[in-house]
Amino acid sequence: MRVVIAEDLALLREGLVALLRESQIDVVAQVQDAPALLRAIDGHKPDLAIVDVRLPPSFSDEGLLAAIEARRRHPQLSVLVLSQYVETAYASELIAGDGAGNGYLLKERVGDVRAFLDALHSVAEGGTVLDRQVVAELLAPGDGATAALSGLTAREREVLALMAEGRSNTAIAESMIVTPGAVEKHITNIFAKLDLSACEDDHRRVLAVLAYLRVARQSDPADGAAAGGHGARGLRPDRNSE
Amino acid sequence: MAGRARLPIDVSLAHGVAPRRWMPVLAAGLSIGEYARSLVRRLAFLSAVLLAGIWALDGQGYFWPAWAWLGLGVLVLIDFGAAWAWRRPPGAVRRVACVWTLVGVAAVILVFTWLLTWLLAGAHSFWPAWALLGLATAGSAYSLIALHDRVLVARGRRALRARIDMLTRTRRQAVDAQAAELRRIERDLHDGAQARLVALTLQLGRAELRVQDQPEIRGLILDAQREAHVAIAELRDLARGIVPPLLADRGLVAAVQSLAARYGLGTAIEVDTHRGLAPAVESAAYFVVAEALTNTAKHARAQRSWVLLRHEHRALAVVVGDDGCGGADPCGSGLAGLRARVEALDGSLHVDSPAAGGTVLEVRLPCG
Repeated sequence: MRVVIAEDLALLREGLVALLRESQIDVVAQVQDAPALLRAIDGHKPDLAIVDVRLPPSFSDEGLLAAIEARRRHPQLSVLVLSQYVETAYASELIAGDGAGNGYLLKERVGDVRAFLDALHSVAEGGTVLDRQVVAELLAPGDGATAALSGLTAREREVLALMAEGRSNTAIAESMIVTPGAVEKHITNIFAKLDLSACEDDHRRVLAVLAYLRVARQSDPADGAAAGGHGARGLRPDRNSE
Repeated sequence: MAGRARLPIDVSLAHGVAPRRWMPVLAAGLSIGEYARSLVRRLAFLSAVLLAGIWALDGQGYFWPAWAWLGLGVLVLIDFGAAWAWRRPPGAVRRVACVWTLVGVAAVILVFTWLLTWLLAGAHSFWPAWALLGLATAGSAYSLIALHDRVLVARGRRALRARIDMLTRTRRQAVDAQAAELRRIERDLHDGAQARLVALTLQLGRAELRVQDQPEIRGLILDAQREAHVAIAELRDLARGIVPPLLADRGLVAAVQSLAARYGLGTAIEVDTHRGLAPAVESAAYFVVAEALTNTAKHARAQRSWVLLRHEHRALAVVVGDDGCGGADPCGSGLAGLRARVEALDGSLHVDSPAAGGTVLEVRLPCG
């Protein structure tokens, strides 16, 4: 696997490079800002880019924008975005397209080396990985999603959260200490209750769940259409209001 | 002079009559008062010349027209003095000007009388000196008494205004500096301590991989990693409380949209503003919306809520409303905190939450 790393803090960048090299992953370039990242990707054509959301010079979200732009130019590229805080808006933007091979993780997840490498491989192979905090925020109580999700049992919610993180059935079964058969039964129930069409592919399954959660959050439980005429509503993937 | 009632034009100048230089022209836009004054001045001049002519034809001798000149001159002088005094602002200043006009007229009468008696009847001592001194003293005393308060008050008012201007300016500077400083602290936390802790957990993770066969050391490393994770989470909460990352990265509109999505109330957002607000204004507006939406979600049992951000007369208007149960306490601790924050920016906060239902929070933040 050939990887490009964009991270402005040298200590972390070098640690990541050392970790990946120890794990027999080929780091073809390490850069410090967004333009250099795009140049490195154009030049090296890597399989995966690991990108910090905040990069010089303005230290806002140029890392995320560069990652989205890089995927637009190179659709086969996988992107793992690291951030020091979770923003569901950023996660939504990242997976907004038909994004096979996307990941959005909190930076500190690199400390759990094995899980981090698993996520890396999963994204590189076209999977979608979302940090469990993003999923927790999407599933947070007090939201529009609550009404729709109230039909689910506690166990089913747990499975739903793990699915949204991009885990496979086997991983979910391990994490919940149940048999894969039980997990499959839960998943069938969830898809039936949420009226989603079931699909085997882990990645498609994540997207279906996330799309469902996003829609549930945006729609008004009462009557959203009447208020909709005022303008922008809820979480919007496009940014034309700015 | 205040009344600008004009005579009809055809009264002043009959058709076909050429205007004379000695004749005041009503058509030029003079008021009745100005016309009368002009007429008096011209008549006085004419009389003075006429009397001098009569004296010349009457065999000359004692130059009696000088006394008539004095009388006519005093008339004209009073006219000019009154006009001058009338141009002063009303009140004490105009009264003082009238007094000085009278003093001036009396002084002129005295000096001319002395001059004429000296010229016409031989030298005297300068007898008006004491009278002039008395007049000047009286005028000065009156001016002092009349204007004393006024001068003091004006000076006090000027000082007060300067102080208010200075305080307003320095407070704004302090608030802006504080907001900029808070953002710098947030950035420093992000790029400094937080990033170093992340690097630390990575190094600990790599170390842990190397000691798989030594459970004691591995346990210690995992403990250290847990502590680092707690520290990272605490720093993240701290930074989020200072300035939410989305606000710092993408500005007010994106941050408010994210807030609305988080509360999932189907919040309608109307935006008529642009980026480029001062950090202090942006943060205040954000926390207003956050507090209002939190209250709506917690207490209002609303079906719908809406947020409005709009530029109005060099101010940012932030309006958050819902159709919930109303009855919000405008003096509650959350709203009191918001009020303090808004007022520090010279803004205003208004809550309308009737018991019948619905709550509207309206905030104005000057951003000129």
